[in-house]
Amino acid sequence: MGRASVGRACVVARATGGRFVGSSVRRVEDRRLLVGEGRYVDDIVVPDMLYASFVRSPYPHAELTSVDTAAARAHPGVSAVLTGTDMVEISNPYIGLLSLPGLYEPGFYSLATDRVRYVGDPVAVVIASSRRLAEDAAELVVVEYKPLAAVATMGQALDTARPAIWPKAKGNVLYNASNTYGNVAEVFADAPRVVTQRFRQHRQSNQPMETRGVVVEIDQATGSTTVHSATQSAHMLKWVLALLSDRQSIHQSLRRLATDRERPKQFAAGAKAFLGRNPELKAANKASVPTMLRQTLADPGRLVHLQRAMLALLSKSPGDRPEVKAPDIGGAFGTKGMVSREEVSVYLAARHLKRSVKWIEDRNEHLLGGGHARDEAIELSFALTNDGILLGMRADLTMDVGAYPGVPFNAVLFCEIIRVMIPGPYRVPVLQFTSRAVASNKGTVVPYRGPWAIETWVRERMWDVAARELGIDRAEIRRRNMIGAAELPTRMVTGPELDVRMSARATLDRALELSDYAGWDAEQAAARAAGRTLGLGISTFIEAAPGPPGFFNHVVPGFAAITNEPASMTLNADGTVSVFTQQVPHGQGHETTLAQVAADQLGVPIEQIRVRYGDTRVTPFGIMGTGGSRSAAMAGGVVTFAARELKDRILDVAAHLLEAAKEDLTITNGRIHVLGVPSIDLGFETVAAEAIRRLPTSGDVDEAIRVTQEYDGGEGGWAQATHICWVEVDLTTGFVTIPRYLVVEDCGELINPAIVDGQIRGGVAQGIGAVLYERVAYDTDGQIQSGTFMDYLIPTSMEIPDIEIHHLQTPSTIEANYRGVGEGGMVAAPAALTNAIENALQHLGARVTEQHLPPSRILELAGIIGHLA
Amino acid sequence: MPSPDTADMVSVSITVNSRLSTLAIESRRTLAELIREDLGLTGTHLGCEHGICGACTVLMEGEPVRSCLVLAVQASGTAVETIESLAEDGRFGPIQQAMWENHSFQCAFCAPGFLMTTKALLAANPHPTRQEIREELSGNLCRCTGYASIIAGVEAAISAAAISAAAVAKAAVAEADAAAAAAVAAVGPSGIAGVAVGGSGVGGSGVRRG
Repeated sequence: MGRASVGRACVVARATGGRFVGSSVRRVEDRRLLVGEGRYVDDIVVPDMLYASFVRSPYPHAELTSVDTAAARAHPGVSAVLTGTDMVEISNPYIGLLSLPGLYEPGFYSLATDRVRYVGDPVAVVIASSRRLAEDAAELVVVEYKPLAAVATMGQALDTARPAIWPKAKGNVLYNASNTYGNVAEVFADAPRVVTQRFRQHRQSNQPMETRGVVVEIDQATGSTTVHSATQSAHMLKWVLALLSDRQSIHQSLRRLATDRERPKQFAAGAKAFLGRNPELKAANKASVPTMLRQTLADPGRLVHLQRAMLALLSKSPGDRPEVKAPDIGGAFGTKGMVSREEVSVYLAARHLKRSVKWIEDRNEHLLGGGHARDEAIELSFALTNDGILLGMRADLTMDVGAYPGVPFNAVLFCEIIRVMIPGPYRVPVLQFTSRAVASNKGTVVPYRGPWAIETWVRERMWDVAARELGIDRAEIRRRNMIGAAELPTRMVTGPELDVRMSARATLDRALELSDYAGWDAEQAAARAAGRTLGLGISTFIEAAPGPPGFFNHVVPGFAAITNEPASMTLNADGTVSVFTQQVPHGQGHETTLAQVAADQLGVPIEQIRVRYGDTRVTPFGIMGTGGSRSAAMAGGVVTFAARELKDRILDVAAHLLEAAKEDLTITNGRIHVLGVPSIDLGFETVAAEAIRRLPTSGDVDEAIRVTQEYDGGEGGWAQATHICWVEVDLTTGFVTIPRYLVVEDCGELINPAIVDGQIRGGVAQGIGAVLYERVAYDTDGQIQSGTFMDYLIPTSMEIPDIEIHHLQTPSTIEANYRGVGEGGMVAAPAALTNAIENALQHLGARVTEQHLPPSRILELAGIIGHLA
Repeated sequence: MPSPDTADMVSVSITVNSRLSTLAIESRRTLAELIREDLGLTGTHLGCEHGICGACTVLMEGEPVRSCLVLAVQASGTAVETIESLAEDGRFGPIQQAMWENHSFQCAFCAPGFLMTTKALLAANPHPTRQEIREELSGNLCRCTGYASIIAGVEAAISAAAISAAAVAKAAVAEADAAAAAAVAAVGPSGIAGVAVGGSGVGGSGVRRG
């Protein structure tokens, strides 16, 4: 096996120019987090706060015949018990806003109204003076159910004899799409070899260490509402809450609008300007009209609700809307980018009662309904020459999205990302991609770290299958098909450009070299002779982080319009600089990395920069929040350019004060001086005082200069990596250990190498967890079996191996050449690990077609035990 | 049968971070709730409330316990240490410093449990091997890091303790040279190492060994 335990071998390319960018600056946020002074949502206490607890369905699928809340309401300390009936009165339903052809999006309320659809479906919310009393009273709510047959498997979802979870959908297939690129039928008919395999990826869950939670704070004096929420996107949450809660009659709205004509005018002008800047979105809107009409015909109530909600939103004044504040967040991995029905219920209850209310989800609730992911199957076909050259690909995807669609990101969006991404870094001349999303009586499917990751898993698994079928080496078949530097730039068959920095091939070559791949077969054979079962697996992927210009338009036409990244920066009276971002970090360390970027641009010590986020009152508007491996590229990029503008404005003032030409000035360690004359200098506080003096307003002003910029990602680009995983399988116990794990990656320039490595290792750990340990389990009746951490197994320090990381950096003159690494580790790891396991067990005839491989399954695959179930 | 907040009250006396508190609380209240809600020490986090994730780990009489599984009444009369006790004079203590330098945590929700577990580990076994560290930390879940950075942080805390012990020993020897020979005997090498590792009064005894 060679090096069984390899330490951290990070070859870090030293950044050019900057003092901070490129070095592992210790995290600013740790100053509070390591001493117990972080402020997470459960740490927030506001005056006279009440507590919420939910009554949840024990049935996967049932009609709700009655909800009796009398005993609960009579319980000491209880302020109110709200049910679905109340929600119909006081709120607008969740209305799907996606107009994708072939999609049915149901409308629903934050509490169940006439039917429950999964085990854990919230039926009522109890508001009481303590969490304990709320939980006690919740047990007193008497709910009568009339059970219905459940849809618990993909087979049951596709079985038209089963009851429809959403009756208006006419069955449980909610989405159908088909795209064909090139003459696929002809290519497959003529291909010398066609290899087909069906792959099944199991239901997994994000499971951050902090569950979801919200404190809705009502200011009794002003009536204003502040929502403290563990959310990945503060502005998105604000507007979804506003849209769902602004319940008033259309008549009322129109009357209000008639008295204040300015607001709708401003709105219309803003919308027009936005569409003018984004012609793709305008065209997409136009193109979606027939779809919207079809949706309306299928479900006329939708139009009424939508119009009423929109008019209410438009007619209310900004003071009626909630403001959102995200505190420190204990991880999310995608799930806190969604607006949970519980959060909406608590918000509505607080507004209804005019009292502050807190809700902290417990782990059992989080395992039931806090977000599931990746419940997908793909049948994949490769058309190949006898030499293993890929001629075409067919993929047929089925995704189980659970009972309720996620808001704002319906999981069907991931079908479209999978479609765009499935070619990866390979030459795929023609492609047919069909997909369908089915509803089931299970928890909502949410984004989980690379929600499209199945594309990499099945493609990389399939190269091993094809290699075996054709008798070609696994690395060699990849080399023959992977796009190399000489072919760039080019386009993926699905549209996005692959620019000259797409270096997947370089990562593969380097990884094979570092792994002594040439000697692997001999090493494996020798180990086998000695009674040890070893395997090696390869996986290469690319990730749109943030992707080439307009990437998201290939996913959903017009979508790229909402993906721009804003930032503001201010020079403050005391000489400090604030960065305001719409990002909402939850472990990624933005307070450090964005300060590194800003400090380098301005030439100041990092302590002079303060990064502000999470508060809709002060941060620039953007709904993307933090997610999608976008932070480094998008926020790092916009802060680069905003800092440059701020520097320019600072030097304007300094030039005047120093009586020097601006172009002769430089900033060193926060002091502004003429180049070569460091003895006569100015601090930022002096510039700030002068800038404030020049302001038209007088009085106590803290903000001297403000700049605001928006960034579309510029050249954007791809992150890429090759992972190689070694396994040893114990054929007695079925346990798999990982003696070595290697990552060779290229994400451009590293802002903070320690943070980059942490993201990669964390992603790989989740990938390993997914394959060997974690599974959201339901029985065939739809009852959940994984309601505790004793059933849903998060890997510990005993299971995660040392992970060796090597960085490559394709030379480039592009500014802010940062690309994301948040998701890649998890995208690539399942393929590397499952490929290694099949490689280890190949002599026993094992064929790995599912992603979850606990010990019992390993022993089945190895033929040691018979199939258990 | 559920009971209102006012019923079933008991008195609890507990020393948390060297401070004695006597409170009247509901008997069903957990140690974690007492620490977080009654004493306002929110550095201790609740991740699962069923004893698996370890985020709520505190030291009770020097031993790591899951404060979500210990009833407050069970902790009455004991000395408890939480993450808030680790800083020294407003600065990072040695374990915190080592974790900081190694980028040990990301979201840091699990950090209080890891920090307190590490404190107990190093008090009981000042020089654990990497495998021993892995075993000792395996009762604490982290979802962000893949553990490598936390293990590196523990290893750095061990070497910092060793360096610091050497420095203290060197200073002590210099001081001892200048002082009477009797003073040398008072500053025994094991005592010095104990101080440098941060094993304060309650550390050491009865800690589970990996």
